[in-house]
Amino acid sequence: MFEPKIIAFLCTWCSYTGADLAGTSRKSSPWNIRAIRTPCSGRVSPEIIIKAFDEGADGVIVLGCHIGECHYDSGNHRTAKRIPVLKSLMELVGLEPERIRLDWVSASEGDKFSKVVTEFNETIQALGPAKWLTKGVGVDVPVLDETKVLQREG
Amino acid sequence: MNYIRQEDLHNWLADIGEEYRLTAPVEKDGVILYEPIQSLDEIVWDFEKPVNSIKEIFFPQTEILMELQISGNGSDEIKEVIPTEKNILLNVRPCDAHGLNCLDAMFLDDSPPDVYYAARRQNSVVMGLSCSHMGESCFCTSVGGSPGDTVGMDVMLSKYEEGFLVELLTPIGEALFSDLPVTEQVIEVESPFEKGLFPVPNEEILKKSFDSELWGMQAERCISCRICAYVCPTCRCFDIRDEVVGGSNGTKQANRIRCWDSCASEAYRRIAGGHNPRASKIERLRNRVLCKLYYYPQQYGMLSCVGCGRCIDACPVGMDITEIMSVLVEGPA
Amino acid sequence: MQTKLLQEHAQMLLDTAQVECVIGYSLSPRGLTRPMFIYRGEDVEQLVWNQHSSHNLAKYLREKIVDLGDTGKVAVVLKPCDTKSLNVLVAEHKIDRLRVHVIGMACSGVVKDNNQERLQDRCVECEMKQPLVYDYLIAAEHTPEVSPGEFDQDSWQTEFEDYSSEQKAEFWLAHFDRCLRCYACRQVCPVCDCPTCLFERDDSLWVGPGSSIQEKRMFHLGRAYHLAGRCTGCNECERVCPVNIPISKINQKLAQVIEGEFGFRAGIEAVPSPLLTVVSGKEYGG
Repeated sequence: MFEPKIIAFLCTWCSYTGADLAGTSRKSSPWNIRAIRTPCSGRVSPEIIIKAFDEGADGVIVLGCHIGECHYDSGNHRTAKRIPVLKSLMELVGLEPERIRLDWVSASEGDKFSKVVTEFNETIQALGPAKWLTKGVGVDVPVLDETKVLQREG
Repeated sequence: MNYIRQEDLHNWLADIGEEYRLTAPVEKDGVILYEPIQSLDEIVWDFEKPVNSIKEIFFPQTEILMELQISGNGSDEIKEVIPTEKNILLNVRPCDAHGLNCLDAMFLDDSPPDVYYAARRQNSVVMGLSCSHMGESCFCTSVGGSPGDTVGMDVMLSKYEEGFLVELLTPIGEALFSDLPVTEQVIEVESPFEKGLFPVPNEEILKKSFDSELWGMQAERCISCRICAYVCPTCRCFDIRDEVVGGSNGTKQANRIRCWDSCASEAYRRIAGGHNPRASKIERLRNRVLCKLYYYPQQYGMLSCVGCGRCIDACPVGMDITEIMSVLVEGPA
Repeated sequence: MQTKLLQEHAQMLLDTAQVECVIGYSLSPRGLTRPMFIYRGEDVEQLVWNQHSSHNLAKYLREKIVDLGDTGKVAVVLKPCDTKSLNVLVAEHKIDRLRVHVIGMACSGVVKDNNQERLQDRCVECEMKQPLVYDYLIAAEHTPEVSPGEFDQDSWQTEFEDYSSEQKAEFWLAHFDRCLRCYACRQVCPVCDCPTCLFERDDSLWVGPGSSIQEKRMFHLGRAYHLAGRCTGCNECERVCPVNIPISKINQKLAQVIEGEFGFRAGIEAVPSPLLTVVSGKEYGG
């Protein structure tokens, strides 16, 4: 069974705490989610997400506080507007938009955290490995055929 | 003179392509570029000059110089990556070959020689194609070149009727191309039409011009991109970085890479601490022109402008080195 | 006629010291139309206005205003599309509108390449023949010499929509492969003006200076994203690319997404991009 490399950006105040709660409540979550804690979901800039894919990620999920509950007032507003635009950009360049997901998980929603990341993991498993890299990073990461690319006519 | 028909040349190239990597002008999306070819049909025979120059073959845009394993406990490993591929460059214009000659002065003839450039250079053969006319922006004749110049080439082809006239110029050229199916012909060769000359400022003029206002007037429209340096056959400034590519258990794997850089860009001359001696466009333009017409001749005895005109064609805002040279010599219009 | 009016107006501005510099277009010794900076009334005859005036002169404003010190105004010749860039710069507080005297030119389009008798793609579908902002308007007096020709942006998009993800990826990689990282696209763009570009950092934080296709793709995608909601579609980036990469297609796609999601088009008013504001549309604290 293909085990995707999923990067989860979790904001300190809400979703990371929510993830902790999922853990302490013994809610089951996929083990292959790699969590990265940021001060706010608004910190997650588009370069970070594109770089995650460039380094071999198969999916990126960004979890922040609900609108109106951000610890920094409006950080999550930026995320809310940013992620759909980034998804369209990546779709244009050949990455399936389902590989990037944004959702809201508060500190008390351990259940929701577990549910959301499990769903996301299943989505990525169904999509298969990301065909995004042009040079091998790991042993079994598929790469786009560079020679085929170079031979194409424009 | 020796003459070869186009089909015979084509077939001969098909054989030699087994052992050598062939690089020739190809067309991609309306742009003509020197690139390694996958099939002989890609070669463009009728063109003025490609957008890029052949310096990419010997001095690539990015190359890995060394592979490093850094363990931090005294047992670091360094592996030099010396290129080994053998190249034949086809349809190289005289200005490009002249540019190669310029680069040789710095990379090869200077001491110590650059091993990466040297490895590529000694494994490569340059097959030139003379120009039947000078292009709109060409001015090779003003800087010591000509449309039929053979400097820097191992073999020279000149278009004639259904094929080419062939001149073998160097021992390498003779060794490799001695079995070309040529025939002897008595031919009257017309010299290509040469345009009038642009004045080239000499050392005196350039020294006196250092504080002149004209640099400011010319530099204002520059947007400090680097197209001029990147398409130029002789521009050779580079940057070296160590980039981490992986590693585990405390050992870092890194590559030391060398890549193109240009004095036209704003950050080029910025030093640690933040000071930038060439912070303004005026200083950068002046440096670029003086480097080609004054500093390089002082150091290596030749101009480092070959008159190809690529910078004039490529510049987004119409900067023109021939205009600058004329203004330096004759004063503002 | 427009040229004459432009020259007269520029002369008046300089002679009465209302501005210290006029940024416009002139002809090079080779006959190319290119940006020009005029400082004295007697030089205004060098100014031209023609269908080769493609450059977006709003690019030079920020630097020029800094050069002129604390006071000092600069006049600039702007086409309707260029005035949109000005709006974006004003909205982001990068230019003090009061220090710019805009000479707005009514425009019937600029030609594609200096040799061809065909309008640029962006001009064919342009509905904006009059500048959006101006301090002095120079209207058009006759129909253009070059007719629009046919261009169907939609057909490219529809065909592209049918590509699979992998085909789309290969399409763009084939283009990015030719990229030289010359940064001409970035340098010519009026709204791309970070003091140190994120993708050119000395510590190679996001992307190194090298030319692997992946790095070039990161540069182009990152730059396109940073322009979302700010790019006004002047397409200068595509014109200056020495290797014909269709950069403007990415920017156009993002402009469509922004219009769809937020109902916003960059540069129509001096209002910042929705990506810079909070959800209610106002700037934070407003």
